[in-house]
Amino acid sequence: MKKTLALILVLAMCLTAFAGCQPTTSATTATEAPAATEAATEATAAPEAAMEPVTLTVVTSYGGDDGNRANYEAALAGYEAETGNTVLDASATSNEDWKAKVMTDFETGTEPDVLFYFNGNDSDAIVSAGKVVSLDEIRAVYPEYADNMKEEMLVASPVDGMVYSVPVNGYWESMFVNTKVLEAAGVAVPGADYTWDQFLSDCAKIKEAGFTPVAVSLQEVPHYWFEFTVYNNGSTADHLNVPASSSDETGMKWAAGLEDIKALYDAGYLPENTLTATDAETVQLIADGQAAFLIDGSWKVGFFQTNCADHLGDFALSYVPAKGDRQATDLIGGISMGYYITKKAWDDPAKREAAVKFVEYMTSDEQVSVFSVTAVTALKNGVIPADSLDSLQKSAIAMCAGATSVVGAVQDKLTSEQRGDLFANVKNIVTAKITAAEAIDSALAK
Amino acid sequence: MNSMIYKKKSPLLFFLLPAFLFLVVYLYYPFIQNIINSFQAISGLGTRATGLNQPWYANYVELWNDPSMRTAVKNTLLLVLCTLVFQVGTALVLALIVDRIKVGAKFFRTLYFFPIVISATALGLLFNLIFLYNGGMLNQLLQNLGWASANIDWKGEKHYFFTMLLPILWQYVGFYFVILVTGLNNISTDVYEAAELDGATGWKRVRYITLPLLRNVICTCLVLAVTGALKVFDLPWVMMGAGIPLDQSWLTGTYMYNQTFTRGNVDYGSAIAVVIVVLGVLLAQIANRVFKEKEY
Repeated sequence: MKKTLALILVLAMCLTAFAGCQPTTSATTATEAPAATEAATEATAAPEAAMEPVTLTVVTSYGGDDGNRANYEAALAGYEAETGNTVLDASATSNEDWKAKVMTDFETGTEPDVLFYFNGNDSDAIVSAGKVVSLDEIRAVYPEYADNMKEEMLVASPVDGMVYSVPVNGYWESMFVNTKVLEAAGVAVPGADYTWDQFLSDCAKIKEAGFTPVAVSLQEVPHYWFEFTVYNNGSTADHLNVPASSSDETGMKWAAGLEDIKALYDAGYLPENTLTATDAETVQLIADGQAAFLIDGSWKVGFFQTNCADHLGDFALSYVPAKGDRQATDLIGGISMGYYITKKAWDDPAKREAAVKFVEYMTSDEQVSVFSVTAVTALKNGVIPADSLDSLQKSAIAMCAGATSVVGAVQDKLTSEQRGDLFANVKNIVTAKITAAEAIDSALAK
Repeated sequence: MNSMIYKKKSPLLFFLLPAFLFLVVYLYYPFIQNIINSFQAISGLGTRATGLNQPWYANYVELWNDPSMRTAVKNTLLLVLCTLVFQVGTALVLALIVDRIKVGAKFFRTLYFFPIVISATALGLLFNLIFLYNGGMLNQLLQNLGWASANIDWKGEKHYFFTMLLPILWQYVGFYFVILVTGLNNISTDVYEAAELDGATGWKRVRYITLPLLRNVICTCLVLAVTGALKVFDLPWVMMGAGIPLDQSWLTGTYMYNQTFTRGNVDYGSAIAVVIVVLGVLLAQIANRVFKEKEY
């Protein structure tokens, strides 16, 4: 009896230990690059079990503190109610950790069925490995897939020039201001002709009035300031150039941009704890009326709507101060993310239809309009106007209307290792532990 | 039945095999692969190696010259030392006090043990709020009491080690406390009674009776503290993230995680992992020898 019991226990342990090692059909096929013949065969084969309710795993960047999180949750509920399918949502806030996790999931065969992810260099690895399905392949079976989008605005992969993702909304990066703080400091809300010198003068006044001029965590998110200070030392035409070293023309431009950030730090215009605070902590400064300026993206509108609903009128969108060839109305922006259907889901007859429907639902005119009240979209028919806009949304729309040019973020041209190294060194640049040129060379060497 | 088991050794092997296989698949294979990875060029997390580094030991040369790695090793060793002194020390003092009280001993046992059952991530978030710069509990308290005129940056260069250390020490005091209390309970009351008749009371009782008889238990706690401190990761990661401030708070574990998962420098992260293992084995061996248990 004891032997039998022991044998059962040993077998149970073995089975438990190796349960995770059992290859599934989808996992196996997901690791193989798509062959053209296979794609053609699959293209003609309609999924048999498509109508059965299934469970989809979805990963997006609509994490807990994303401005569109509430819209996303409502959209998930709407999709589930409409289709009877269930969505296992594993979304998180977009940062380098999140990107690394997404890539790891693909490499280990545990990728989601649908992924909302970047469509620039960040997605090269999954495109190269054939782990996501192109629009051409999907449209061979579902001809109406993403037909509500302007073809010319769908972003092609740098790997093979094919389109893999369907966008929801584009983004812009600009400057949020706390008008109450500006008023208290006797500073006018910046306009379309805002210059760097005016900005420095305003910062001095704001500081003197007892406020923090700029809300930024150099320790965690120096990204936006890097982007605009580099832009300020160049032009729209050359903004997307990546230097070969710190001593070439672009390298010197980058170094000048980083030196501008250092000048702000040295002048005491950044939060006292900018080297130790998280991004959330510094954003809270402007929300609480302790700081005046914040450079952030279109996704931050939702943060103010959610967290500052009772004093939303205190906030407005303005332009990042300009110098050199750049005008204040030249913005950073574009369509950088979209919904991918993974090969794993596409090859699974039970999930293919559900995944396609999910992307179609999330990128429908109605949903895109909800997500993109103030942002750029690729919709052929444009955004359905919202019933009512709040003051911040109106301010954002006015800011976008005044834009003279929009260019992508140059940091997206760097590998995650280069980007990580460069931004980790911003705090060392401002504290003079290393020079801007050394930081640039260090990043480029990665 | 029992005698059969001892005569035939094959059933023993049969029972040992699953655990052995489990360890081979989930520990030894990844460990060996990690050593191999540390010599290879791997450009991103999960991506295949593109070949050997040039030279193949390049990561180890970089480790030697990396100031953040030196900081990480220094901080880790300092943490081990602080753990030994403050964590086990505090636990010992608390155990001795609780052992002497007649009412409420069980209450204190539960109270001190409680932090261990809370997830380190939750504790990290909790202490983040306590040490928050703007509106944090500690800064508010100090200012309301008039002990500070402005916010103190608890994660700044002056206070970061204390800020990181305090929650780690606090969380595991209860663990050693419970072990030590159990050890104290095992000391026969007859010994104390005999000591009392000989005039040993108060501190003498502790010094000459309790501590010598508790030596082996204390040694076990010290060895556990050394090996435990080497593995500390989650709480400092949640609180100090990327080496806050200015790369000064790195521990070997957090630095390895940052290089591997945040920076995508996988091969370098693998090299750091190898150093962590070597450091762990070395310190564990030293701890075992220094705090060797005695036979009485």
